[in-house]
Amino acid sequence: MAMATQEKLRFDPNSPEIKAYLNGLAHQFLSEGTMVAFPTCLPGMTTPIPHEESRITALDINSGGHVYGGTSGPRAHLFAAAFHNLTGIVLDLGVVRGATSTAAVCCGASRAIAFLNGPRGGRAVGIPYVNLAQDWIQEWGLEPTALHDLGECVPGEPVIHAVCAGSGDTIVGATTRHLFTMAIESGKIVIVGEAPGQGHLGLGRAGAFGRDEGARLWCFDIASGQIRRGAIDLPAGEWTGPLRWARDGNSGLLFTADDAGRLFSFDEDKGFRARGKAHLAPVGPMAVAPDGRLFGSCGTEIANLFCCDSRSDSVTNLGVAASVLQDRRYGYQFGAAVTGPEGEIVFGEDDNSGHLWLYFPRIAGLVRS
Amino acid sequence: MSSGPEIDRRTFIKVGGAVAAAGLAPSLPVPVAEADARPEANPPREAPYPAKWYPFTKHPDSDSCWALSVGPDGRIYASACAEGVPGGIVKPTRYNEDRDNLDYLFDLPAKVDDPPDSGRATQCKIHYSFVPSMHDHVLYMATHLSAPPIDLPRYSPWYSWHDEKRCFRGSALLAFDTRTDQVLWWDTLIPKEGCRCLLHDEERGLLYAMTYPRDHFIIYDLRTRKRRDVGRISSINPQCLFLDKRHRVWTSSDYGHLVRYTPETERLEMSPGLLAHDLNYQTGWHSVFYDIAPSPDRQCVYAVTWCPNPHLMRIWPNEGEWPRIEDLGPATQPRDTSFPVDMWVDHCGGLTFAGDGKLYYVASRWRDPKYNPGPAARTKGVVWRLDPETLKREEVAYLAHPTGPAHYVSRGAVDHNGDLFFGHVGNTPSGIFKVSMPADRKRPNAHLPIRMWG
Repeated sequence: MAMATQEKLRFDPNSPEIKAYLNGLAHQFLSEGTMVAFPTCLPGMTTPIPHEESRITALDINSGGHVYGGTSGPRAHLFAAAFHNLTGIVLDLGVVRGATSTAAVCCGASRAIAFLNGPRGGRAVGIPYVNLAQDWIQEWGLEPTALHDLGECVPGEPVIHAVCAGSGDTIVGATTRHLFTMAIESGKIVIVGEAPGQGHLGLGRAGAFGRDEGARLWCFDIASGQIRRGAIDLPAGEWTGPLRWARDGNSGLLFTADDAGRLFSFDEDKGFRARGKAHLAPVGPMAVAPDGRLFGSCGTEIANLFCCDSRSDSVTNLGVAASVLQDRRYGYQFGAAVTGPEGEIVFGEDDNSGHLWLYFPRIAGLVRS
Repeated sequence: MSSGPEIDRRTFIKVGGAVAAAGLAPSLPVPVAEADARPEANPPREAPYPAKWYPFTKHPDSDSCWALSVGPDGRIYASACAEGVPGGIVKPTRYNEDRDNLDYLFDLPAKVDDPPDSGRATQCKIHYSFVPSMHDHVLYMATHLSAPPIDLPRYSPWYSWHDEKRCFRGSALLAFDTRTDQVLWWDTLIPKEGCRCLLHDEERGLLYAMTYPRDHFIIYDLRTRKRRDVGRISSINPQCLFLDKRHRVWTSSDYGHLVRYTPETERLEMSPGLLAHDLNYQTGWHSVFYDIAPSPDRQCVYAVTWCPNPHLMRIWPNEGEWPRIEDLGPATQPRDTSFPVDMWVDHCGGLTFAGDGKLYYVASRWRDPKYNPGPAARTKGVVWRLDPETLKREEVAYLAHPTGPAHYVSRGAVDHNGDLFFGHVGNTPSGIFKVSMPADRKRPNAHLPIRMWG
């Protein structure tokens, strides 16, 4: 049986190939920026969400810069989080009875609405906003939050995803077969028509988009309440899996990816434009920094992070997520992402003992010697 | 062992050990009183426990012996691993008491159709993954990863995870018949990952394993030969699992909590409390289990952690909602905690009960300018004997290697004759120590009841 020894190395340590390989190894973990894995608790004060109940699958952020989210597992939890000023907390708002997965959380003007699935169907739950801007040590006060069950959205159909539209008073959601709207204040649900829910919904300037049959999108016009089935052709690519979207909060530009990891921007007026390709597929949750850079995760089992610079259409492999501030943690699977109030990206870890991962991208233009 | 100009992990820990042994760590003044209080105050007793070194001479590339266990036949099995060598392979060995040397059982990659020149990371080692099966005399073994492909200087499972040509094929599980010396069958226990540690619940026909690098908890049904992934625990691998009387399987998380798997609920749960650690400066993070020995009556286990200043502890899994954990104190010497020490130097392992009903284990001892001053000496392994009734402990032997270190013991076991054996890491070739028990402290079949985890 062949065996390598010192005397019989089958590689040249000084070859360009080996040097390139070793350089790749040196950058296998987060190669740009900084990540902080924040546990689902008030550190040192409360216990995190239990190990198997903390797979973070939905996030949104309200106008106050506070993050609301939900988990999946044997029991689904909802939580609120803030990481600025004197507030550094993930507050477990409680378990939603009978729910085992959170499909979406939508932060409206007056409250957040979570959409969860389980044996009791696909239901909406109202979350009153929590006064998170407190000292959280010594003297402060907060009563446990009362979650409001708003009922099943479409009888017998799990909710696939939902987004907050308009000025924060309306939600557009999709079940496996129907599209619905919800008035956030009243909680009233209206089924607006049939459309397949296949992955996440994208929110444009005037409408919401979702994957339709074939390589097409349906389009829902929020003002008129009309669905246009098969309204938009997806660009050339591989389109069989569920879609993910990210939205540039400044330009309104949307980003999505095909099954092979090809990245596209989408403008309602100009259509799709290819932006490069992530080095792994499928592409997972993504969010856009205020400078237009798109950050996301890609790959299964041990995901990598990537950056797509929409100015140059270049895609960079950022490696495996790792947090070394305080206790080291590796991030392998992510379920959701939003852009934080200071431009950081907040990733929700879809794994046991899931953390909220704050990613502070490398400042654009930084040159290191 | 170095495979190129860079320093690989194993070379690094050797350098770390050498630096500490040579007294090159940051120096501190040496108060005499504290020096006198060093744990070396009680030298080994007059009637010694002679220790003998058995190098893996027929596997000269070997650099570590991670697995050492007693088999269902009462004999000692040890893995001759070669993780620092591109294309390195593991050879399971067995102590031959008639010839007083080692038998090399087989080249493992050849048995599992995963040749070392495949271009992938190789079947280079068996970590804490020998487990006995008493009813059919089988010794199960599962492989682990870390050696580079034959044409690369290093390997990272994270970097190569998505590379079909380079990625480790997976942990191979072998059923070795100790009566016929035949591999009865093999299977892939964990695709793409290594098996850090293995446990056998023989009554239920289940193997439990921890995967590396993803740190997932795996159940393998020996009847159906099917695997179930229960999910991730954390980031740093625990190095050991243990089983209680209710068939619950226990390990630990990165944060120092006990982790319990209950077959009836199929849940992984974390204990509210923490494993023993140094309260002066540690939080419990990285206090993962290193080694765990069951008490002969199976009422409790003795464990030590894989972190600096490892603490010895006693855990009572059959009591209460969550076990009572007794901190039995540090297993190794005091040190300057303002400067990091690597776990190659500061280490305790090899926990095993012997025929005299006492717990034996090996803890490292190194020269420290403040806490263990004196002439520069090689870092050594001290064999300790702990009385479970009084918790009194005494040094009974030092492990000595002719030329190299002798302090990093991975696992220990007692054979059917009642003698102690310890696997060692850090020499090339690596090997095992036999520590002969005094006649009045050994008994036949001292390995029973047998430990069911690696």
